Amino acid sequence: MKWEVRCRETWLHETNPSLKLIVLVVLFFAVLFIHNPNVLINVSLALFVLFCFGTGYPANVLFWLFLPFFLVFVSTASSMMMFGEGTTTWVRWGLIHITAESFWRGVHIGFRALALGLLGLIFSLTTRPVHLFYSLMQQLKLKPKYAYSFLAAVRLLPIMLEEFQTIRYALKVRGVPNKGGLSKVKRYAIPLLSQSIRRAQRIAVAMEAKRFSGSGRRTFYYEIGFGKYDVLFVALFAALMFVAYYAGVHYPYISISDVR
Amino acid sequence: MKNIIAIDRLRLKFPGRDGLLFRDLSLSIAEGEKVLLLGPSGCGKSTLLQVMAGIIPHSVDVPMKAERLERPERWGYVFQDPDAQFCMPYADEEIAFALENRSVPRQEMPARIRALLDQVGLEIIPHTDIHTLSGGMKQRLALASVLALEPDVLFLDEPTALLDEEGTKAVWQTVKQVDRGKTVVIVEHKIDHVLDFVDRIVLLGRDGRIIADGEAKAVFSDYKDVIAAEGIWYPGVWDDYDRTARRRNRHQGEELLRLSCFRGFRGREAKIYVPEATVHAGEWIAVTGKNGAGKSTLLHALMQLIHTDGEYVLLGADIKQQHPLYRHIAFVFQNPEWQFVTHSVREELAYSLRLEGRPEAEIEETIARLLREFDLVEQQDQHPYQLSIGQKRRLSVAASIVAGQRLFLLDEPTFGQDAKNTFALLEMLEAHREQGAAIMMVTHDEQIVRRFATRRWVIEDGTLVRDEQLDIREPALAEGGAGR
Repeated sequence: MKWEVRCRETWLHETNPSLKLIVLVVLFFAVLFIHNPNVLINVSLALFVLFCFGTGYPANVLFWLFLPFFLVFVSTASSMMMFGEGTTTWVRWGLIHITAESFWRGVHIGFRALALGLLGLIFSLTTRPVHLFYSLMQQLKLKPKYAYSFLAAVRLLPIMLEEFQTIRYALKVRGVPNKGGLSKVKRYAIPLLSQSIRRAQRIAVAMEAKRFSGSGRRTFYYEIGFGKYDVLFVALFAALMFVAYYAGVHYPYISISDVR
Repeated sequence: MKNIIAIDRLRLKFPGRDGLLFRDLSLSIAEGEKVLLLGPSGCGKSTLLQVMAGIIPHSVDVPMKAERLERPERWGYVFQDPDAQFCMPYADEEIAFALENRSVPRQEMPARIRALLDQVGLEIIPHTDIHTLSGGMKQRLALASVLALEPDVLFLDEPTALLDEEGTKAVWQTVKQVDRGKTVVIVEHKIDHVLDFVDRIVLLGRDGRIIADGEAKAVFSDYKDVIAAEGIWYPGVWDDYDRTARRRNRHQGEELLRLSCFRGFRGREAKIYVPEATVHAGEWIAVTGKNGAGKSTLLHALMQLIHTDGEYVLLGADIKQQHPLYRHIAFVFQNPEWQFVTHSVREELAYSLRLEGRPEAEIEETIARLLREFDLVEQQDQHPYQLSIGQKRRLSVAASIVAGQRLFLLDEPTFGQDAKNTFALLEMLEAHREQGAAIMMVTHDEQIVRRFATRRWVIEDGTLVRDEQLDIREPALAEGGAGR
């Protein structure tokens, strides 16, 4: 089964995964505390540009990855618009009550969801799990025990996906009615889990048989350090935030500066 | 010669099981010896191997005691399941994992990785996704990453049990090349390729005691009866089988299935194409071809698990009118566990019949017959997952064909089975074929094709390229070894 999408390596792939993780987590919280919709729209647009041109994936892949986040944007924004509180009524139709306040609050929350989603996408699209965990071990002193367990688990995912497909076929062949509900979950979960648990146990034994001790001294096949791209990365995001903030305050799209 | 492994009076018990698995077992292995451990499944061969390596009790906690236990300092262990011994996604990273554990400096790693891949004959670029390798290649990669530990002793725990013939050959060839004076201890069920390599055989009995221990050729010839009775694949096992097999009745019945310009799709791509083909009652069709040629896809297409087009007539009617298909076609997957939908052997057999609303009395009767026919009477109340590998396979076949289907599709049903179970399964299928069913089976095993198939379909690059009638090879003619 085709699982991995080939992509062009960009400079974002070259940045230190731990640094990238920290910067993006900081931004994640920063976005939660932006209350000026103008600033937030700027931030989202900038992240969107980076997502489109910085991750190195073909346009169709980007489109399908972006689509669910766009739907989240629409649904959060619209539900806030229609059911939020406010005093300046625009439309009232049964339960639906759109006011100026709720409209802008909806837009704001939609963009917030979008920005958070984009941060996550940018990180996961430009970071190989192997590099992330090697970096976490080297820069943030994560115990090898945890790092390699995660990596082993990542390896199990595509295998499980294939098994899921096969079980689907197998049940169809036996004439199992394709009805929903708990019994269906059980039919898939039990064989999938029993295989995975056994496989995980075997992998653990195999890892120890290769003298993996979980702690103690070890060398690293990938030495992950810092380089010029890390400077560029931090500088870019600092600039991005500054420009977004400055433009949002001085050249606003709308006159509201705080949606609270 | 100096002993590198010595076990004195080993006692070991699995929690939750009655009695000791080993009672005062003693065994020693000298440096440089090539030893094969043989015995029936469940006799504790793999457990013994793990005790020798120290996996028990260091990684797997099993209560054990021994008066003396000498274990090698440097050892490597290759496991059975190619999908359950890697923790990294790429080949080079997997070998590097072993090197890292030994604190090999990073600068030396790329060269060593390349050398190790060469040593096991893997001609791949080091940074290759393990998921894309075949089973045989995965096992050779496992060997490479174990060799990265620079072991004195190699433990091989049925490394080819889940491989096809080609992969099996490649793995043993590699083991023979890399050994260079190392001590090698092997547990294996398919011993055709191992017998000329080992110089000593230790034969374990059902009760975990050593029955025989000595020079390989001598043990093999002296205890051939025991070895045969335990279902071990030994050289000449098929010739011995031919001597006991009965005469087969071959006749071709009416047409069951007709294909014309038939295509099967995965996604939007046509992955299998059959220009023209028919299947008649009483035929046994062996579907052969290279790994990834599209053999399984063909079966999936016939079972309508994937989207198809072209002409497909089953039992005289268009396939679309033959709904639900499982009443006419039985399908058996490679891994029997995937197909189990209930919690006991009885229920499993009853499932399809209940689904059709057959009367309870008839169901009882059918179940009783199948339990006898497939030798599952004693296990009838067990959970399917608790059965042995051979029993699981028999149950999955029995449960699939219970509704009296005319066409059986089987995807490598003898895969990973021992000789005894393989023969039993083939005999059962043969009996159904003689009663007018048609069997279509994906297999890599030429011995099966030669003995059972009446026709062969060869799949190449997703197309049925050859459809040939096979000569009837009567087992009776094989008498006196003239068969080959």
